[in-house]
Amino acid sequence: MEQSLKETIRQDPKKILGVNPLDAKVSLSYLTVAFVSLLIGGILGLVQGLERAGLIDLPSWLNYYQVLTAHGLLLLLVFTATFSIGYLYANLSHALGGLLPKVRKFAWVGFVLMIIGVAMAVTMIVLNEASVLYTFYPPLAAHPIFYIGLVFVVLGIWACCAGVFINYRHWRKNHPGQVTPLLAYFTMAVFVLWFFATIGVTIEVFTLIPWSMGLVETTNVMVGRTLFWWFGHTLVNIWYLVAISAWYVFVPKIIGGRHFSDKLIRLVVILVVVLNIPGGFHHQIIDPAISQSIKFLHVFMSLSIAVPSLMTAFAMFAVFERTGRKLGGKGLLGWLKKLPWGDVRFLAPMIAMISFIFGGAGGIVNTSNQLNQVIHNTMWVVGHFHITVGVSVVLTFFGICYWLIPYLAKRKLTPKMNKLGIIQTVIWTVGMIIMSGSMHIVGLLGDPRRTSDTTYGGHEAAAGWIPFEMLFAVGATLLLIGVIIQVYAVFNMMFFAPKGLTEYPVAEPEDDATPAPMWTERWGLWIVLLLAVVAMAYVVPIVDMILNAPPGSPPIRTW
Amino acid sequence: MKLAKYGLVLYLFLALPPVANLLESIMIVHMHMQMPLLIASGFLMGRFFQLKFPRFFEKWNSNGVPGIILFIIVWSYWMIPRAMDEAITIQAVEIFKFISLPLLAGVPLRDSWKKLASVGKDITFVYFILMFLIMGWIYIGSESQVCNNYLLVEQKTVGFGSLAIAACIIIYLLQLIFIDQSEFDEVQKD
Ligand code: HEM
Ligand SMILES: [Cu+2]
Repeated sequence: MEQSLKETIRQDPKKILGVNPLDAKVSLSYLTVAFVSLLIGGILGLVQGLERAGLIDLPSWLNYYQVLTAHGLLLLLVFTATFSIGYLYANLSHALGGLLPKVRKFAWVGFVLMIIGVAMAVTMIVLNEASVLYTFYPPLAAHPIFYIGLVFVVLGIWACCAGVFINYRHWRKNHPGQVTPLLAYFTMAVFVLWFFATIGVTIEVFTLIPWSMGLVETTNVMVGRTLFWWFGHTLVNIWYLVAISAWYVFVPKIIGGRHFSDKLIRLVVILVVVLNIPGGFHHQIIDPAISQSIKFLHVFMSLSIAVPSLMTAFAMFAVFERTGRKLGGKGLLGWLKKLPWGDVRFLAPMIAMISFIFGGAGGIVNTSNQLNQVIHNTMWVVGHFHITVGVSVVLTFFGICYWLIPYLAKRKLTPKMNKLGIIQTVIWTVGMIIMSGSMHIVGLLGDPRRTSDTTYGGHEAAAGWIPFEMLFAVGATLLLIGVIIQVYAVFNMMFFAPKGLTEYPVAEPEDDATPAPMWTERWGLWIVLLLAVVAMAYVVPIVDMILNAPPGSPPIRTW
Repeated sequence: MKLAKYGLVLYLFLALPPVANLLESIMIVHMHMQMPLLIASGFLMGRFFQLKFPRFFEKWNSNGVPGIILFIIVWSYWMIPRAMDEAITIQAVEIFKFISLPLLAGVPLRDSWKKLASVGKDITFVYFILMFLIMGWIYIGSESQVCNNYLLVEQKTVGFGSLAIAACIIIYLLQLIFIDQSEFDEVQKD
């Protein structure tokens, strides 16, 4: 590691010093918010775990659904969004040789807008005016300020999108005939998705605001749910793209190899961007008001995402094997031993990738109509997304921290910190296996999600769930320890680690690799295709939901 | 030639009775998915015909104009509600649909598009934008059923779908105009 660092400095100093201090500050601010949210969200997670197991009783001023709303919103939205924005802006700056001053301003405006928005939403949750869970499905109605806060968050995200698009166009204009660096390409793709993802939910929120204020009497529940999942599902694929950007670009370098074919990587990105949005319907398999044949057609939509996933799996294992063999691995699986398992920058994303196999298999269960009937709204689903987001995505993010943060703070990853990172990764993995594993099983037995008390008066079917719920609490305790270690590590690397230079581990292409073709840069075309796919998927159900709508629902407060 | 084979596979898949029935059971899928896919299958298979009958295409479609006119006429014909209705009720018309869309629309499109001058392409785009806008207007506005086989609500859906397609084509053209297309040329400038 030490040697390759020196080499890089000699050959290409910009690789080391690519992100300038002003840009680093932007990214570090986003990352700070991310890890503060993780800490709070993690504590709330443990509270939920203990409450479900019946080990604690929440005081009368704090109810389970308040906690669950905050946990969902802080982790699912705030943590993942701020982390990915901080990380991607660093990538953009590194890949394009610094952000334009104008773009940096956009990033700061976005930051402030998001903070205001989150503060508004969280305040309403704390005041018990918005226990609507992170999905805020109507007819559950929160205080209008909660929705207005969400609008601010979206505006913040749009400011970040604008920044990325401006910097991208600027670079393209000045580099005719060249493809953008891979990292910038990923960043562009993610922000294109952010932009189109948030359109659906913005329309929804703008219909909910007057309704929650009492200016409009009723709202169309089905349209609301559909627009929410337009966003919600796309958010999932935003994480997915962020995670695979690290798998494709950084992991190969960390293990001492080269990245896979540039063209294939970009093809995966394009497929995810174009095909993704309509997958949202797989969250509505049980919803009435969507006809059976439409649901059937959508199975293809959501399974089509398996294609880029399988391409990714193939590419990653090819890189591992190639690198392992180059390092002297022999036999069928000998190359596995040659991988740097003791390096947290590798171990964390590697476990993330392995867990994605299980997450993906569970996802296929969820998206299959008949199987969904069994697991819908049970703890299985909670188990599923703690594996996918909680491990595949979050562990990748954690792994990124161990080089990104020292790099940005101009400090070093010490061997001691590396060891702590390994311990953290193991604790997190074990905690999630226990918690998520028991959630999967008890879900199959019928234990409902989003329910604070599931004893049902001591009914024997419900009694069978209790041992599993105890396991949630065990897993949750481990996970909170993991959260604390991670947050400690992040702030230690940000402020206290020894000063020094850290490498930005960007993998190079193979020597004989052909450069990616220029047509991959046709974002105008990809966006039109994205819109066409959205039109194909949404016109039928939405027109049906609006023209054949039932009377609509007034706002309802269940708490 | 590999693409031509894919085209044939796509064509056969679309012709399977359960697939055809499912796609035709929803009006907008029938019009805006099954039919374009049939055209696409012909487009893919076009290569086969180009290689098999090069002289024919050279003679009759040297500048691409006759081909694109044929394409426009055939596809527009299938946008007529009566034509769709009959495809469902009369077996012979259904067969005609499965022959005309790939062979008389897809294949000529394949042969013509590269040969067309940019004016020809622009006119084609504008024609389709107008057609979809007008269709959207008619199908959304009409208060009576224009197809015996489909409900009023499905008809309105087709209207909105047509508007969406028109919007996509417009956005596509706008980005062609506003983004310098030479940016995407492969040649490396030195
Ligand atoms: C300390 C670690 C964590 C613990 C102990 C934990 C625990 C839990 C528990 C017990 C539930 C409640 C299930 C229910 O009643 O339906 C839950 C829900 C949830 N968790 Fe976590 N979790 C943790 C980390 C995460 C992370 C890292 C994420 C995402 C990045 C996440 C996202 C969610 C979401 C979205 C829900 C569903 C909220 C809802 O149904 O409205 N959790 N979690
Ligand atoms: Cu989804």
